[in-house]
Amino acid sequence: MSELREVYRAVSPAEFFYKYREIAGFANPVRAVYQTIRELVENALDATDVHGIPPDVKITVRKADETQDFYQITVEDNGIGIPPNIVPNAFGKVLFSSKYVLRQSRGMYGLGVKMVVLYAQLTTGRPVEIITSKSGYKRIYYFKLRIDVNKNEPVVIEAGSWRKTRDWHGTIVSVTIEGDWNRAKSRVLEYLYRTAVVLPYANIVMVTPENEIVYYPRIVNIMPKPPVETKPHPQGTDLEFMNSLVKNTDFKTIEELLVKSFQSIGDVTAKQILQTAGIDPNKKPSELSDNELLSLINAMKTYDKYKPPSSRALSPLGEEIIKAGLKRAFNPEYVDAVSRRPGAYSGHPFIVEVGIAYGGNTPIGEDKPVVLRYANKIPLLYDEATDVISEVVKEDINWENYMISFPAPLLILVHICSTKIPFKGVGKESIADIPEIRREIKLGIMEVTRGLKQFLSKKIREEEAKRKAEAVAKYIPEVAKSLAVILADESNLNALRKEIISKLTTIVARKTGVSFDLLHGIVKSIEAEA
Amino acid sequence: MITMPSQADLAARNKALDLIKSSMKSLVEQINEGEKPVLVIPKRTLSNTIYDLRRKMLLLGPEVQHRSFTDVNEAKKFMQTLLMASIIFDALRNNEYPTIRDLYYRGKHSISYRTVDGKRINENTWEEQRESDSVIRDLEVFLSVLREDLLILSKEKGKVVGNLVIRSGDDTIDLSKMGHGAYAIEPTPDLIEFVDVDAEYILVVEKDAVFQQLHRYGFWRKYKAILVTSAGQPDRATRRFVRRLSDEYKLPVYILADSDPYGFYIYSVFKAGSITLSYESERLATPSAKFIGVMMTDIFGDSVFRKIVKDKDSRKILEEITPGVSELKPKSPYLDESERSNFIIKAKTKDLERAVELVGYKVAEVCIEDKEVKNKVKKKEGLTGYPWFSTPEWTREICIFFNTLSKLEIEAMASKGLKFLADKYIPEKLSVGDWID
Ligand SMILES: Nc1ncnc2c1ncn2[C@@H]1O[C@H](COP(=O)(O)OP(=O)(O)OP(=O)(O)O)[C@@H](O)[C@H]1O
Ligand SMILES: [Mg+2]
Repeated sequence: MSELREVYRAVSPAEFFYKYREIAGFANPVRAVYQTIRELVENALDATDVHGIPPDVKITVRKADETQDFYQITVEDNGIGIPPNIVPNAFGKVLFSSKYVLRQSRGMYGLGVKMVVLYAQLTTGRPVEIITSKSGYKRIYYFKLRIDVNKNEPVVIEAGSWRKTRDWHGTIVSVTIEGDWNRAKSRVLEYLYRTAVVLPYANIVMVTPENEIVYYPRIVNIMPKPPVETKPHPQGTDLEFMNSLVKNTDFKTIEELLVKSFQSIGDVTAKQILQTAGIDPNKKPSELSDNELLSLINAMKTYDKYKPPSSRALSPLGEEIIKAGLKRAFNPEYVDAVSRRPGAYSGHPFIVEVGIAYGGNTPIGEDKPVVLRYANKIPLLYDEATDVISEVVKEDINWENYMISFPAPLLILVHICSTKIPFKGVGKESIADIPEIRREIKLGIMEVTRGLKQFLSKKIREEEAKRKAEAVAKYIPEVAKSLAVILADESNLNALRKEIISKLTTIVARKTGVSFDLLHGIVKSIEAEA
Repeated sequence: MITMPSQADLAARNKALDLIKSSMKSLVEQINEGEKPVLVIPKRTLSNTIYDLRRKMLLLGPEVQHRSFTDVNEAKKFMQTLLMASIIFDALRNNEYPTIRDLYYRGKHSISYRTVDGKRINENTWEEQRESDSVIRDLEVFLSVLREDLLILSKEKGKVVGNLVIRSGDDTIDLSKMGHGAYAIEPTPDLIEFVDVDAEYILVVEKDAVFQQLHRYGFWRKYKAILVTSAGQPDRATRRFVRRLSDEYKLPVYILADSDPYGFYIYSVFKAGSITLSYESERLATPSAKFIGVMMTDIFGDSVFRKIVKDKDSRKILEEITPGVSELKPKSPYLDESERSNFIIKAKTKDLERAVELVGYKVAEVCIEDKEVKNKVKKKEGLTGYPWFSTPEWTREICIFFNTLSKLEIEAMASKGLKFLADKYIPEKLSVGDWID
């Protein structure tokens, strides 16, 4: 029996993702189109609203080849732009990112746009083109590059710059991929539409290959407060992070390192932690042994008197923005939203926001509300069934208690923002069931739904009053005519009849609390027929 | 051809027009003051029907209903009531004589309106005649008049012959000169004027056939009677006619009906009024009317009953219900054994139930022998009977009915011989005073 020989080698991250692109959402030509647009748009939005800039985003999809299904996808933003020396790595080196800091943003892995570039390379072989400039720069920079898959390095094919004639800042990224636009189109439109719901402060335009223009104009002048970069919370740390921290620090003592590198740790807390871990506070960080590092992390995690993680790193939408977005999308009879107080799980802060829309053009939920899910302002379209938000809506809320019987025109929007969204996969499509988050989702939904219940019961009371008034008002003309026949002569019959009609209408309006005009409308509808 | 209404007719019309006008005026006054219009109508329910022991008639009690236009549950009835008032008013003014069926058709039309949510709906003022009839009755009690006073006609049913001259319309009619026929009592008996009467009493016969036989026989001439028939359940006109004639000429009224619970009830309608139309009693009932026959004792004598009260317990119970029942004058029958077996009809469960309604369950319990039959009326156990049947005489009559489970039609008496009926049965009973008051 011969033994097979094992061959060992390392692959670059670029090579890995090149091979296993489906984990990153590029499983087929349909998903690829959708995923490309998503990655580019999310980068564009991160470059704008995260920095307090009201986003202007333009997406253009163009057929790029007569015979093959090649599409050129271009996304332009008015964001902060990218320094020219950074551009090659940002677009050509997998796992290179400006977003590895504690601050809420859409991007988090340093992977997104590189997947796009790799997919373009794989299917059309065409390089990515970038045009960018920052505010205050005198020039606009231009790049054409590809990725060396084996080395995980950018290969700049062309670079240049020209003078700026106006103070433009922003980025234009253009790629050409092979994809199935026709089947992806509805997904893409759905994605944009859902994005626009939570971004009423953005201008979003898309031009399709059919030359259709989809436009969501800015409708509010408020912006979510931008996130502020924060230090990590000690409960959110791990061995890897601590390792690199102690190796690369300039701080003289471990105590100083703890106090300066983490939130919620002061002198007293640092001393206590180090005592529990049995480490001398004056020890040089780089001299900690592996065992000491382990017991330090243990002590940091078990200490239970920290202040909760700061929510300054978060950028919730806010109630007004959610309401404005829902109003535009559904023109509902009832709309409300709530931003819950910040919470935390495993040292990561999070905020749950819930919006509700009822009636108007709100889509009908057959046996539960229609759910719009968002994580850090990204709409989640796929894997709805396995998402914690869907589970709460289905299992944790007794809708009958809120006077809602399905089918009903009811929609629930849930937005979770966090410095670390507990996604179930790299595809960023569904959120894992974290008890702390699940609880906040439930409470948020209950809070907005209580308001809806009040609205509905008031509405039912009003409808009831209207129906009662109608049941009386419809007889007013007949009663008035009968009385006039008995009490008036031919000559003033009509005058008396009209007088009685108007007086009876007033009386019925007063008795039922329904408006005179409404009742008058009923009376007139009878007169018109007669 | 246009016929002028008679003077009496015109006067009645004007009176009715004024009545409707003034009652509706107060409604419009409420409206003018910004108040919800309300019709206050005496309640026509069984619970608001009371038997006035002193006046010996069924009357409407004091309960009233407030039919408010702004009350969702009353609005339609309110509208219907006013609609009916206006149609009647219109008919009065145009010298018309609508029947209740006419009024139903005149008022029936659809109201087409748009609902608050924009749907167009057609709704009829009323669907069935039952609804319009009901508001006519409401209007009668509301205005406290009879429909006849509003010149609403109904089918003629009652007939009369006798030495009696009346004016109807502008004609004078001698009711002794009707040939083989008879005068059909008009639906508006209050418009009749009695000109001359030569009679000693009024005999009301339930059955039209017997009326005709007595008429042809010349009964009324020979015995100085006014002969009336209601041809079954008496209509309002017949009752009003009898009442007026008896009132105005102080004539006693005798009722000759079938010997069964229905016949007994017809008698009581003449005398005390009907339960469903108690609001009319005041004008329609003749409390002095007497039941002359056919009595159970006319058929069976009183031996059956005497046997029952021989039993101490039975006597005690019956005495408790109507004291003196065991000491009534003895009576011998008009029919012999073989006649009885020829003429008697077996009582049905319906008859038994009706009888229990008249005198109460206890009488049935004591007098019915057959256990199986007793079980049939068990479901009426709670009933105590009508107060106006609570007399020793009626207890004896109906006890015999329960015991024998027999009934007899007046026609049977005529079959025994018209001569017997006209010359013996009726005159003899009248002369000895063998009636029930
Ligand atoms: N339109 C843009 N404007 C400004 N900077 C951009 C833009 N697009 C990309 N970048 C920069 O390039 C970096 C890499 O982008 P990439 O999409 O690969 O990763 P990411 O957005 O950080 O994380 P993720 O993998 O979750 O998308 C970003 O971190 C950002 O600094
Ligand atoms: Mg990205």
